[in-house]
Amino acid sequence: MKKPIGARLLAVFGALALVIAACGGDSGGTPEECEADEFGCVTVAAGDPIKLGSLLVTTGANSSLGLDSQYGVELALDYWGDEAFDGTGGQIKGHDVSLVAEDDGCSAEGGTAGANSLAADSEIVAVIGTSCSSAALGVADTIFSEAGISIVSPSNTGPALTAEATHQPFYLRTAHNDKIQGAAVANFAYNELGLTTAATIHDGSPYADGLQQVFADTFESLGGTITKQEAIQVGDTDFNSVLTDIAADSPEFLYFPIFVAEGGLITQQARTIDGLADTVLAGSDGMFTPDWIQAAGAENADGVYISGPDLAAFTGDTDFYNNDFLPAYNDAYGEPQSVFHAHAWDATNMVLTAIESVSIEDGDTLYIPRTALKDALFATSDFPGITGSLTCDELGDCQPSATIAVVTVENGEFSEAVYSEVGSLEG
Amino acid sequence: MSRLPRWARVGLLGGFIVIYLGAVGMLESFSARPIVTGVIQFSVVLIAVVYMSSGYLAARPGKDELESNPRRSAPLAGVVAGALVGVFVIAMTLLAEAGYNPRDMFIAINPALLDILTFGQSIWAGLVIEVVLGGVLGLAASYLYTSSPNTRSIVVTTLTTVVMVALAAPLFTVMFDGLGIPDSWLFQREGLTVIGAIVVATATAFLKWYLLKTGGARKAMLQVPKVTEKNINLTLWLAAGVVLTVLPWIVNTFISDVLGTVGLYILLGLGLNIVVGYAGLLDLGYVAFFAVGAYSIAVLTANTSFLVGGTVNAPAAEGFMNFWVALPITIVIAVIIGVLIGAPVLRLRGDYLAIVTLGFGEIIRTLVLSDWLKPYLGGPQGITQIPPPPLGPLNTRDPRILYYLILAFVVISFFIATRLKYSRVGRAWAAMREDEDVAEGMGISVVLYKILAFVMGAAVGCLGGAFFATKLSVANPGSFTLLVSINVLAVVVLGGMGSIPGVIVGSLVLVGLPELLREFGEFRLHIYGIILVAIMLLKPEGLIPDARRARELHHEDEEPITDVAHVAIAGGHE
Amino acid sequence: MTAPLSLNRNGHSLTTNVSSRNYRILFERLPVRRIILITLALVISYGVIVGTVATLQTGRYTTADWVNLFVAGVARGSVYAIIALGYTLVYGILFIINFAHGEVFMAGTFTTFFIASGLSSTGVLNQYPIPSLILLFLCSALVSMLVAVILERVAYRPLRGAPRLVPLITAIGASLFLQYTFRGFYGAQVNAYPNIDILQGTISLGGYNVQKSQILVTLGALLLWLALFFVIERTKLGRAMRAVGEDREIAALMGINVDRTIISTFAIGGALAGAAGILFVQLFNSVWFFMGFIPGIKAFTAAVLGGIGSITGAALGGLVLGILEAVGPILFLTGLGIPSPNQLQPIISFGILVLVLIFRPGGFLGAPEEKRA
Repeated sequence: MKKPIGARLLAVFGALALVIAACGGDSGGTPEECEADEFGCVTVAAGDPIKLGSLLVTTGANSSLGLDSQYGVELALDYWGDEAFDGTGGQIKGHDVSLVAEDDGCSAEGGTAGANSLAADSEIVAVIGTSCSSAALGVADTIFSEAGISIVSPSNTGPALTAEATHQPFYLRTAHNDKIQGAAVANFAYNELGLTTAATIHDGSPYADGLQQVFADTFESLGGTITKQEAIQVGDTDFNSVLTDIAADSPEFLYFPIFVAEGGLITQQARTIDGLADTVLAGSDGMFTPDWIQAAGAENADGVYISGPDLAAFTGDTDFYNNDFLPAYNDAYGEPQSVFHAHAWDATNMVLTAIESVSIEDGDTLYIPRTALKDALFATSDFPGITGSLTCDELGDCQPSATIAVVTVENGEFSEAVYSEVGSLEG
Repeated sequence: MSRLPRWARVGLLGGFIVIYLGAVGMLESFSARPIVTGVIQFSVVLIAVVYMSSGYLAARPGKDELESNPRRSAPLAGVVAGALVGVFVIAMTLLAEAGYNPRDMFIAINPALLDILTFGQSIWAGLVIEVVLGGVLGLAASYLYTSSPNTRSIVVTTLTTVVMVALAAPLFTVMFDGLGIPDSWLFQREGLTVIGAIVVATATAFLKWYLLKTGGARKAMLQVPKVTEKNINLTLWLAAGVVLTVLPWIVNTFISDVLGTVGLYILLGLGLNIVVGYAGLLDLGYVAFFAVGAYSIAVLTANTSFLVGGTVNAPAAEGFMNFWVALPITIVIAVIIGVLIGAPVLRLRGDYLAIVTLGFGEIIRTLVLSDWLKPYLGGPQGITQIPPPPLGPLNTRDPRILYYLILAFVVISFFIATRLKYSRVGRAWAAMREDEDVAEGMGISVVLYKILAFVMGAAVGCLGGAFFATKLSVANPGSFTLLVSINVLAVVVLGGMGSIPGVIVGSLVLVGLPELLREFGEFRLHIYGIILVAIMLLKPEGLIPDARRARELHHEDEEPITDVAHVAIAGGHE
Repeated sequence: MTAPLSLNRNGHSLTTNVSSRNYRILFERLPVRRIILITLALVISYGVIVGTVATLQTGRYTTADWVNLFVAGVARGSVYAIIALGYTLVYGILFIINFAHGEVFMAGTFTTFFIASGLSSTGVLNQYPIPSLILLFLCSALVSMLVAVILERVAYRPLRGAPRLVPLITAIGASLFLQYTFRGFYGAQVNAYPNIDILQGTISLGGYNVQKSQILVTLGALLLWLALFFVIERTKLGRAMRAVGEDREIAALMGINVDRTIISTFAIGGALAGAAGILFVQLFNSVWFFMGFIPGIKAFTAAVLGGIGSITGAALGGLVLGILEAVGPILFLTGLGIPSPNQLQPIISFGILVLVLIFRPGGFLGAPEEKRA
């Protein structure tokens, strides 16, 4: 590939000139808020819709998680403005709201590609996403923050995303931080059940690894002993070795916050290990589905504790959730596959409210200053959502406190909450 | 089966293929992708291609026949295929009405699919439509069969081009927007408009006709006075250079990012091509070197690396070293690991080597994931905050700048790969690949040359990994699964083992297209599987074959696999 | 005077004095490979011995623990062994690795899931467990056999005589194709295979509690293996298979229908894989489209360990691999103070494979390796 350097430079400069000229053309006559804003404004011309993005996992093995959130976003857009689930959304200051959906692939690559795709569209105002923490951490959160696009995640729970050292300025989430859930399970085991020894298993996913680590740290700080922290591989089927290894210390509590397939097999095989006969088993939201009970076998699943965000204790408008939201969801998409549609609904409404408050009308044209939008989102306080009242802290956690419920399985069905705790990040 | 006449067999096969496409969910997914917006979807195009292929195949005489009656057999085959599909729809509907919903087992056999296959009509009307469609398309195929090769070539090229352009509509829209050319007359909602389809079809048909008449573009140009072979080559290289240089500024950052990914796979493909294509060693664990490269760069440059005392939650102020210092170190690490892995196992026979390398890939993935090495490699969370390569005042986080960087390394690797191929080493590899014993007898140290190939592949793979990590700014175990090895292998195999241009085409088709065609994402590996099998059966030398390799693969062809080959032709492969 | 007879064994003239050539000879003769191998062997043996001794010294694990692990390993290894037979049979006759064999195993098992859940929801499964189990075995074997036969007909037959790399890549493609075909058919979710009540629980065997399902699986595998052994050694088909494996052309000249023999081989291997699937789900009751991949790779490893081409070798390899996988991580790694040893199990499985191939390329029972082009 030989090409004269001169021609190459010429081409680059030519292209640059085009781009600069194109950018320059836009800036005439914009409000001064836009001039002042570091990232400028999104300009929505007369008759054009306001474009939101979504970056959720909608294909592959984790698609049930992402699609559930996606449906939450779609319902929120439908309900917005006209307060009815009628298939048509409302408007913000005379503009429709449209959604550009991308897939985060539940991976760093997917997060990069999807985030670049959305960030390349200069009309995208804000993004609801990502589904998986691995698609956000250091990837989507950074790309959007560099582009000045606010991103609100309905289901990232990884602690690092809102840790002081790694938080990106445009990143927020309505999902609870795993710090809350891990600590709640530890409190439940130590204080409620009065157990002092525990072991954990993770499956090599960042989610399970992070959650069991928070659990272990809290459990030890409460005065308990962690006998062993084990790990398995996704796709394995035989867990006799790992369970035998754990049973050698006879822990009183075994916490494995993993997913349906391996979670089911571990539950089943743990029942056949003599040393674990008296051990209390527990998992988290990854197994909080009837599929897991089926995979484990009802008789094996009985008595296992499962933690998750407490929908029944949503301090928000729960009547609305049960009477209006869920029926509309069921009509449109069938049974929910996770609980994060509620967080996605809240995230969407938070974003729409913030857009409404910061956007500037100029004739029929709407200007949305990007930094001001971000500031408005971070200033969200006592926002009435269906997951509770949302108040965002300076690191982007909009659920600084969340209610975590622990349920158990009785006769092959999930019970009512046997334990419920309002955890907070300060605690 | 063998008692049935040929048209019936071919027709049944076609019908089964349509049912298969439906049962695996492809038809339903692809019905969301318009080819000509509001007129025809990709799912319908697929069905039509299958019917026409059945007709075309039926039109050909069978093995024992001297001649055939295309006008009769081709439409009959189409009718049989259509009838089978229609009957299938009726059977499924009746089953569901009787309380045995086929959907309980086959999740894709649902009302949406039946709707597609009946074109929204009742099941009986659907049967009629399918039969008529099959018959008409079969008849069309028979005309295609009896027409002159030139006409056939024009028709097939035109139809294929229209479909391709329509599928790539989102890409074209972005490019036209970037250039400021209005395109709403051409494209509409991810497909062509009617006018657009006519324009593209006419243009392609004319161009193809003209090229056929004049005997190819090169020949046509040479007829112009003062144009020489050398001038054309120079112009082509120049044009390619200019296009590659300005490309990121025409397309948006997303497509630049995709181009960066394609570039990475070209890099990986060039590396694996040395191992698989030149030396003939099947390496199924290429991801191991990709991971080594990514993690080496991560450990050496990231703010969260243990070398500077950082963690995921508490990054240090700055990494241990600069990217450009770390890169050569990374390559040295890869070379050492390549020798360590290669030396013990390279004496093994080819297929054992495949499994052993697959095992090494898994071992490396397990290691980077493990709790054991978590203090150093971050375990499941991986290493984050890998800084972009410093490059003067340029922001290398921008996908467009990163594109140039990757392009530069692709060009260098391209150059090295080309020189290697025709060097003494390259000839030694070729000799070894053709016959190890003879090569050994000729004084080629087989083990030494094998290790050399393996190590060169390792170095290039590692380079790819290093750029991958800086591109994502994250290295975590989720990115280093067996799939990467399979992706790269598919890239090399599709383009043609040993062929350098093949790697580029392979990456564009297998890595670039799926990024742009979201509907295909779900079926990416499914289609990879089909491609690997189909290429090996029909054209083992790949799309852009390497001459020497093609000779090797064909010198002992005994029975031609004509049947399947013609499906491909009718299916529009040029 | 002609050249002095000062040539060494390799034919290099010792009197050549072009310096670059000397370096080359030096490098070629430097036993790099041997040095690496010996170091590798020493390091690994040292690690294994130290780890084992240290683990046993801790006294963390009771004899009952070891017995449990061992029995679980035997059960799991029996399944590997039966799947491995499919690899070994095909390799013995065609010298290709049927990489898609794991998917053949998946196809039968996944398909019978729907029959099993039908039987389970109507209560038949627990009312008539033995007829149900036989039905499931037959269906699974039939489906897997069909898939294997189609695979041979479509993907491998046209490639006979092609360079070895070609069928291997085809096999990888076929493997992906089958996985995603069944994913498209039956969905991507993990399904729980219904349990049979009478197979749950444990019985006491020599003072140790052993799970009934593990015993059933081991016995079932033994029966299947004996049946195959009989077919190969005692029937006309078996003789034909051995003859074709020995020399295809001469076998054809002797009046053996080579095509039919090859397809029968695939059919038998497929049927065994399908049957192994029903054993597999008695141990691990989950089925999904990817379930064949890992057992497939492991079974291939088992076949290579035992000596590919040998039926007894496949059984031996399966058992050794199963037991080492169950016992190995704890026994070798815990003592070395490595956290989460069970996560590192793939390192043990593939490590064994690599070591066996390096030091005994023919496997335990295989003939010494001969080179094939």
